[in-house]
Amino acid sequence: MLKGFALGAAALIGAAVMVLASASEARTLDEIVKSGVIRVGVNPTLPPLGKFDEKNEIVGFDVDFAAEIAKMLGAKLEVVQVGSPDRIPFVAAGKIDFVMGAMTRNPERAKVIDFTVPVHTEVFGVLTTEGKPFQAWQDLNRPEVTLIQVRGTTPVKFIEDNLKQAKTTLLDNYPDAVRALAQGRGDAMVDVVDFVGEHMNKHQVKWKILEAPVDVYYCGLGVAKNSTGLKDWLNVAIFETHRRGRTDELWKKWFGIDMIKPVQVSPYF
Amino acid sequence: MDYTLQFGQVWPYLPRLISGAILSLQIAVLAFCGGLLIGTAGATVKTFGPTWARRAIGGYVVFFTNTPQLVQIYFLYFALPDAGILLSSYAAVLTGMTLNAGAYLTEIQRAGFESRRQSEMEAAEVLGFSRLQQIRYVILPHVARILFPPLSNQFILMTLGTSMAAIFGVEELTGQAFNINAQTFRSIEVFSVTALIYVALTLIASATLGLIGKFAFRAKMRFA
Repeated sequence: MLKGFALGAAALIGAAVMVLASASEARTLDEIVKSGVIRVGVNPTLPPLGKFDEKNEIVGFDVDFAAEIAKMLGAKLEVVQVGSPDRIPFVAAGKIDFVMGAMTRNPERAKVIDFTVPVHTEVFGVLTTEGKPFQAWQDLNRPEVTLIQVRGTTPVKFIEDNLKQAKTTLLDNYPDAVRALAQGRGDAMVDVVDFVGEHMNKHQVKWKILEAPVDVYYCGLGVAKNSTGLKDWLNVAIFETHRRGRTDELWKKWFGIDMIKPVQVSPYF
Repeated sequence: MDYTLQFGQVWPYLPRLISGAILSLQIAVLAFCGGLLIGTAGATVKTFGPTWARRAIGGYVVFFTNTPQLVQIYFLYFALPDAGILLSSYAAVLTGMTLNAGAYLTEIQRAGFESRRQSEMEAAEVLGFSRLQQIRYVILPHVARILFPPLSNQFILMTLGTSMAAIFGVEELTGQAFNINAQTFRSIEVFSVTALIYVALTLIASATLGLIGKFAFRAKMRFA
């Protein structure tokens, strides 16, 4: 028995070592330009940042913005589908060159990946159904409240810090979370309400959005740590896109309204 | 490659992983017991029942053994509410796993039933045993020894199968691992520790089952 177990453990460790040895690295700026293709991670469950159109291709604000960047670089854009839990491992492992999808900038993530200057802001609100007694987000801080959140998103940490008494159910993606809320499995969801608008429309439920925004966060592009040159180039490209007004143009096109809290563009970074 | 292993970052989260492991084991044990009951009933019907009942159980078995367990639980969790039945995460996972286990265990136990000795069955019938008594006193004690390896295999598979409960918000071992990964981003460390805990879990489970088998049924112990 022990021999079998030892062999099994040795095989497992051997496989792990092989994975570590042959793991892909993040590409440098020169490698990207030479290959002529830039790989971008977009989350298609966050309309209007990313969604599937009738031809089952990913479209949205993120795709258009990434296309602008790719055009400036002179490379072809390749869109890779990512989800909330796996986008950071993807970029850290070099599967994609940079990741979008409302990549909120915070110190925990900055330990693992690098962030560019902000591309857009996001404002947290509270999504709940009519009939729930909540008036402000602080009302959620009670033990009988169940919040439905998506695994790996920023509000989870926010709730751990500020809504300690509420219970949380973690699901894997936004459509499932909104559907669970519509089915009455939870009381509310704290997240960026603009992004879940399209999911909300799919359910015959009277929604209620608590107006007072909970907080403002800045979203940038995520790149691998020490990705030589790529982050600096992206910063210059993003500043140029903001300066030309192209960011606001694309935002208006996909969201229908201006950014609620505009990014203060600064020439120094 | 620029990655340094940092197990120290995962160490403080170990209690969470352990509590998740206990929940995994709990779900597996409950689903297995429920599945055993369904399995015994199903095997009885398939061996002794009328044709229409045999076909019904056959349909249930074919459906649940030929669809993925994930799809079954997904249906119970997300599709049933549209028909008015709202199951909690835990209830949906447990029901799905029990029904799935019941189907596999029906087939396993039916194979055991088929190996009953006809002479013993006739002797029991002559002595006036009812069908239920025949099953309880003649069939089960004899086939329990033979069935023990496949049954404990099924239990191990179910323990590992609880990992999909994380998708429905049940924070068992895999769910806890996902959460810790989302907070620390130490994927390699978190998931290798989780894998080792699963190995320990299944070893404990098979050792316990082996001991039960040895003392209750004098069955052979299954290793690894």
